[in-house]
Amino acid sequence: MVIGVRQMLGTLVRPGWLTGPIFEKELRVSSRRRRNYWLRSIYILLLAAFVAIVWLGVVEYQGSTAFAQSRMAVAGKRIVMTVVLFQFFATQILAVIMLSTAISDEAYHRTLGLLMTTPINSLQIVMGKMLSKLLQLLLLLGITLPILAIVRVLGGVSWGYLLSSLCITLTAVIFAGSLSLFISIRNRRAYAVIVRAMFVLGCFYFVLPLVLAAVLRVGWAPGFGNTGSTSSIGLLALLMHINPCYGIGHVTQVMLAPGTGLQFSWPTHCTIMLGLSGIVLARAVQVVREIALRQATGQLELTANGRRLALGKRRRTDSVEGPVKRVLGPAVVWKELRAPFIQGVDNRNSYIGLIITVVALLGTYWVVSQDGSLDESFVHASYGLLFVSMGGIFNIVFSATRITSEKESQTWSLLLATPLTSTQVLFGKAVSAFRRCLPIWALLGGHLAIFIFAGYIHPIAVFHLSILILWLTVFVTGAGLYFGTRFNRTTSSVVAVFALALGLWVLGPIVGGMLALLNNRADRVVNYMYFHPSVQTELIMAGASGTDNADLPLAALDYGNERILLGAARRAFGVGRMTVILLGTGAVYIGLGLVFFWRARCRLRRHIF
Amino acid sequence: MIEITKLTKRFGSLTAVDSLDLRIEAGDIFGFIGPNGAGKTTTMRILVTLMEPTSGAAFIDGLDVTKKGKDVRRRVGYMPDFMGVYDDLKVFEYLEFFAAAFGIEYRKRKAIVEGVLELTDLVSKQSAAVDSLSRGMQQRLGLARVLIHDPKVLILDEPASGLDPRARIEIRELLRELKRMGKTIMISSHILSELEEICDQVGIIEHGQLVFGGTIEEIRPRLGLHSKVRVKVLDGDEQAIELLTALPQIESVESAGEYLSVTFREGEQTDGIIARTLVNGGVDLVYLQPEQLKLDDAFLKLTKGIVH
Repeated sequence: MVIGVRQMLGTLVRPGWLTGPIFEKELRVSSRRRRNYWLRSIYILLLAAFVAIVWLGVVEYQGSTAFAQSRMAVAGKRIVMTVVLFQFFATQILAVIMLSTAISDEAYHRTLGLLMTTPINSLQIVMGKMLSKLLQLLLLLGITLPILAIVRVLGGVSWGYLLSSLCITLTAVIFAGSLSLFISIRNRRAYAVIVRAMFVLGCFYFVLPLVLAAVLRVGWAPGFGNTGSTSSIGLLALLMHINPCYGIGHVTQVMLAPGTGLQFSWPTHCTIMLGLSGIVLARAVQVVREIALRQATGQLELTANGRRLALGKRRRTDSVEGPVKRVLGPAVVWKELRAPFIQGVDNRNSYIGLIITVVALLGTYWVVSQDGSLDESFVHASYGLLFVSMGGIFNIVFSATRITSEKESQTWSLLLATPLTSTQVLFGKAVSAFRRCLPIWALLGGHLAIFIFAGYIHPIAVFHLSILILWLTVFVTGAGLYFGTRFNRTTSSVVAVFALALGLWVLGPIVGGMLALLNNRADRVVNYMYFHPSVQTELIMAGASGTDNADLPLAALDYGNERILLGAARRAFGVGRMTVILLGTGAVYIGLGLVFFWRARCRLRRHIF
Repeated sequence: MIEITKLTKRFGSLTAVDSLDLRIEAGDIFGFIGPNGAGKTTTMRILVTLMEPTSGAAFIDGLDVTKKGKDVRRRVGYMPDFMGVYDDLKVFEYLEFFAAAFGIEYRKRKAIVEGVLELTDLVSKQSAAVDSLSRGMQQRLGLARVLIHDPKVLILDEPASGLDPRARIEIRELLRELKRMGKTIMISSHILSELEEICDQVGIIEHGQLVFGGTIEEIRPRLGLHSKVRVKVLDGDEQAIELLTALPQIESVESAGEYLSVTFREGEQTDGIIARTLVNGGVDLVYLQPEQLKLDDAFLKLTKGIVH
């Protein structure tokens, strides 16, 4: 008995009982990947840039020393908040990306079945993968600790906030990572895992609160709707405990303005999130075992069709839906239109997803209408921003994956061994990327149609948004295809395009802002921001929506929205200037997009293998 | 039909193909043999315009592969050493897609696809999803794909790898049929005995250089390999060895278990001498069988098996 207990304790204490050799192998492999070093460098650079801009924004250089010192505590709070929120979102996105190939790579390279022929069990596979990536993310979180500790000296930030925010971030990262790992078990393509994980997280973080609010007929955020009611407070308390966004938002709000918070126990929140992660990982362990055993016995089918076949739900010869379709028009375009919206997902399931999205969207309309805000311009500006951001993200993912997914499925060389020209191939791929973004643009179109009809949006917004979407699509698609020709791995290509977008539209304004503040030339940043897609969207929608603007004649529309442009002096301008700004931006970005297309065409037949 | 002159391909410090010279006549089946990393696949990829050579030239049907890529691709059917499939297409759609990619008119495509499906015995699978096919079926589909535009030249990179014996025999028969149709075929394989049966010429490559090129019959004298005959006698092995060793044409006689292995001196094989000698010597002859030179032997003798 004693020996048995001692043996059990010995096993538990021994390092590696939970992960086996997987953990060590993953660390070894990741240490050889250049992209991980790039990732850390970019993370630190972005973080430093964020901190610097907040610092410069709060502690003005032109003020007196005494004034500057008096602003230190405010600066300390702002910097800590920036760092905390930055790492909260950034590390979750990274967790999803880093774990998107955790199991699919093993399954795709047929090593999962091999692992099952060793004493390694599925728990060790899952935990080995999970903990090795988690360690890398912990390193990123650890990088910020010295900054937080130093800034804390400025005053105003409690240790409790640092601890609670760190724990909430960590448990959110574990949850996001677990979800990505789970989805990667049955998806061979990293981008599909990323899109699905983001979709699920989006539903959990944003749609679920809306649905709960709609069901309980209360507001879903502090200061919105009838939040003073008991049910509203109850809903917020619930959301704070199950939703990391609400949790981090609450502890940050308390840090900024102590005593204004609701009852919130962050240890309970973290326990709940760990519990949810545990459930996801437990299911992952179970499914990994099934898949691995199937592969070990030569039955693995990773695709959705293959899974159905393996489960015996469909006859083998009938695994692609519908009758045989004849090839019409250009071959690549036909093939791309024939493929499902998302690889491995039946179009039927995509349509179900779209219907759910539409229902959720209608739900938000209903909730907003209950608040009486549906005729406000900021509401439509927010919707516009949401659609354009979503469309942009989808465009990045789909354009960056069009070529690399062919490379990964080893069909790229077959396609290039045909007499198709590089332009024909690229055109087909561009059409494919655009087609996959169509549902988002259709939702935006639907939104515009409904509210133009209702008299809440001016019809000119359709013209302006069309210009915006055109240049955004051409630029992002060109960049995506170019990086697709440069890289062999989907994840690398997607990350490269995201990095470009972040550089242009996040880092660019930040660095520009820093330089402008140092030189006291904020107007330059404002001018730069006019070329920003989000700013343009908000300007278009804020200027042309709401009952105040929708009925105005064209000449009376005013697009000078001071709320957006970094507090710069308000400069009123009309529809003519807005159109010129859009056309000018469009010309620049379409030009850049075409340069990317040209480079992609030049590189198409290089790095084939 | 295929001509390669001083073809060189370098990847950094590694020379994958080193001044390779090769000529394949129209209508021939050429077996391309070499150990892993010898440069077979790189050569094939250059021929099908998927890679550019560092130096040298390659011509298919008189067209320079580096300058007339599009025209070359119209004349060549390439089957790589992996089976790339589009998960979401059916067999018919897959073939018609490539037919369209090769610029075949819409009204002709159906008949052409049905033709290659029939040739490759895939008619019953035309509505099946490509990724649901077995490996053997997928290989056949790969062959159907390369035939879709009726190319003059087929370049097949290990088309029989990973297949079971039945599927291998089927692929072999299909290649014979294609030869009868007048196709020029360049095929690489590690299953050397298969190439032996279907190839008109073979080329053995190592370190990117051709160490042998010619017919299988030409290999023996090139390697200094002497003709051998297997002799089985009813009894009296020792007497048979004594009789045969005495012959001036015979270099050696060795007992190989059930039979005797008789090696002739170079250029001295004489039909009937062994049978005549044994019968006249009173030994009961059961059978007499010439030993064929196996391509495997030549391969092992010619290559050192060193991988880059």
